[in-house]
Amino acid sequence: MREITLSQAVNEALAEEMRRDETVFIIGEDVAEAGTPFKVLSGLVEEFGTGRVVDTPIAEPGFMGLAVGAAMTGTRPVVDLMFGDFIYLVMDQLCNQAAKTHYMSGGKLNVPLVLRTNLGATRRSAAQHSQSLHALVAHIPGLKVALPSSAYEAKGLMKTAIRDNNPVVIFEDKLMYNDKAPVPEEEFLIPFGEANIKREGSDITLIGTSSMVQVCEAAADILEKEGISAEVIDPRTIVPLDEEALLKSAKKTSRVIVVDEGHQSYGITGEIAGRINEKAFYHLDAPVLRMGAMDVPVPFTPALEDLTVPTPETVAENARRLMSGEMIHAA
Amino acid sequence: MPHDVIMPALGMAQDTGHIVAWHKNPGDAVTEGDVLFEVETDKATMEVEAQTTGFLTDVAAEAGTDVPVGQVIALISDTPEGSGGMPDLHDTPEEIVASPEPSAIAGQQVIMPALGMAQDTGLIVAWHKAPGDAVAASDILFEVETDKSTMEVEAGHDGFIAALLAEAGEEAPVGEAIAVISADKPEAPVQLSRQAQSAASGSAAPSKAAPKPVAAPPPEKPTRQEKPAVVSDTGRILASPKARRLALEQGLDLTRLVKAGHPQPYHVSDLDVLKSLPDDTPTAVQAAAARHLVAELPTEGFTAFTAWAAETAGLNDSSALLAGLAAASLDLATATVAVEAFGETRIYTVPAGPFGAIAEADPEARPDLQVRDLRCSRITTVQLGAEACPVLSVAVSGAGLRLTLECAAPQLSASEAVTLLSNFAGRMEQPLRHLL
Repeated sequence: MREITLSQAVNEALAEEMRRDETVFIIGEDVAEAGTPFKVLSGLVEEFGTGRVVDTPIAEPGFMGLAVGAAMTGTRPVVDLMFGDFIYLVMDQLCNQAAKTHYMSGGKLNVPLVLRTNLGATRRSAAQHSQSLHALVAHIPGLKVALPSSAYEAKGLMKTAIRDNNPVVIFEDKLMYNDKAPVPEEEFLIPFGEANIKREGSDITLIGTSSMVQVCEAAADILEKEGISAEVIDPRTIVPLDEEALLKSAKKTSRVIVVDEGHQSYGITGEIAGRINEKAFYHLDAPVLRMGAMDVPVPFTPALEDLTVPTPETVAENARRLMSGEMIHAA
Repeated sequence: MPHDVIMPALGMAQDTGHIVAWHKNPGDAVTEGDVLFEVETDKATMEVEAQTTGFLTDVAAEAGTDVPVGQVIALISDTPEGSGGMPDLHDTPEEIVASPEPSAIAGQQVIMPALGMAQDTGLIVAWHKAPGDAVAASDILFEVETDKSTMEVEAGHDGFIAALLAEAGEEAPVGEAIAVISADKPEAPVQLSRQAQSAASGSAAPSKAAPKPVAAPPPEKPTRQEKPAVVSDTGRILASPKARRLALEQGLDLTRLVKAGHPQPYHVSDLDVLKSLPDDTPTAVQAAAARHLVAELPTEGFTAFTAWAAETAGLNDSSALLAGLAAASLDLATATVAVEAFGETRIYTVPAGPFGAIAEADPEARPDLQVRDLRCSRITTVQLGAEACPVLSVAVSGAGLRLTLECAAPQLSASEAVTLLSNFAGRMEQPLRHLL
């Protein structure tokens, strides 16, 4: 199968959906001629024109509000938020308006909107451009949240998101835009709420999201050389969450580490660990471990920044601790 | 101590900066805050100030060149003469070794530059210098091809090629060292290929992770070893939920692991240890050697006795009375007796003395003796084999009772068993005689 980058995969998904449905349009900063700073949208304005690839002023609350209104009145906007960190600026439009309109209008209105943005540290972009804030929106009923872990997921999930009649937030890892993966030429969609078992294993389950899937896979490689068989699961969407697949794996291996790049406290890892604890308690042979980003603003200093996120080595080390039967926290 | 002047990062997605102009010349005195040079990015042109006071020296990048972000482009020194060469400023490992690690080669590292924002690797089309060649900072060192274009890249440092760490035709990640320029002519210049290096180090390392080389052969699955013994201060056995559930389902007693000194907390794998412990409950062999004694009572006084005890002493628990009579038949100061009646087991602590002092004990307590009250069932004859403690079964037989004592040989000697059953039979026949 041909391999393309995550950037190209997103670009293809948008182009295909824009060709299929003329109500789909893109709006955001530097989306047209610039094609975004990460060059994800290059070429789209040439095909679809500035009427459907709309450059805006630097005014996130404004264009997000425009998009919510446009979605309510019959179009399918894809809002491009240059950095996930800017999501703070659009919280009212997203969480108070888009997420609640279908419910509060008694089902009369829909907001078929996609918010495309990114997450991920270790790009030396400092504290205001390195956050992974998907937990903020995953907390809000009415929003779906997708976290593609490769070019394949990026394309399939984006197409599903655009066709969804409710608001979807997609976070791409900004370090993965140039990572290549096999992506079929023919059209495909990835349904929401369907986890992907990236790798089967019997001793421990590593649940990873976004780029942490790759971290978990690298950890599984390390562990395999030590005789530990790790199962790696990518939920792909955290809302809706494929709880059944996660619980099945937890019951099979009895040990789970949940790895996500958001801050650890009050985050995705805690939510998933909590559900496994509630629903697979009598099958657990060790505490479910959470591994998120450190609870600090992301440091600019590379040496410090690298310490704040889970790595294959730290995931493998925790897996070894669970396997050895070590008492993880005091009695 | 000279101060490095580096190419600053002025934009989020910026990897290089274009030096538009220097505002100071080499040797000029500069004061902190003076504009040193102008840099252009894709967004804007900015003036960059000196961060300290001194003399501008060792300018390594001329106006008009693109420099990777973070690269040292000049020094601010204490004297106008500078330091006599930038390589000396940096940590220089002592010796060049025969088959060196790239990082161990002394000199300035030349890195694969980022030529576009969305670029991760560059293909080295050609080297313009060979190992050992003298090189000036502005000399073309190599050509690199990206998805956009092919560009010539300058050496950036004066000196000699101490090492080329990649071969023409190979791709190198942006930011990775691909050559080393030393101040002095190297004695043994090196040419390496990236392929050879990655083969030597086991596998290609992903950016977030550099797995250390792992020695073959793959070791066995780690076994639990020298884990620190942990004991809960509440006395509760520390075990995983799954280990507890499986122990319950399989009828395994975790307290035996505690008694065996096996370190807590317990996990599923510890159940195998538990199963392999020498069994302290009667085995088939012991059961074969079990004692089985039967006593027949033509009449019984126990029914009347329970009615009398309830009426005169307020002792309403007939099971407790049964426990009292059984315990009195044992030669113990205080006995723990389990009474199984109507499908329910209750455990009593029976001290020597009045029946009023009999109390229910902790349900987890290990009984010295068990009484199986079958008087309300149709069972008359019992031969169930030995259990963890001696068992007295009480069944109806005509107008009287049939008492059966079963135990394993080590639990009671033959004469102890005879004495126990004889005593108990006497007490069940005439309980009041026991009280007197």
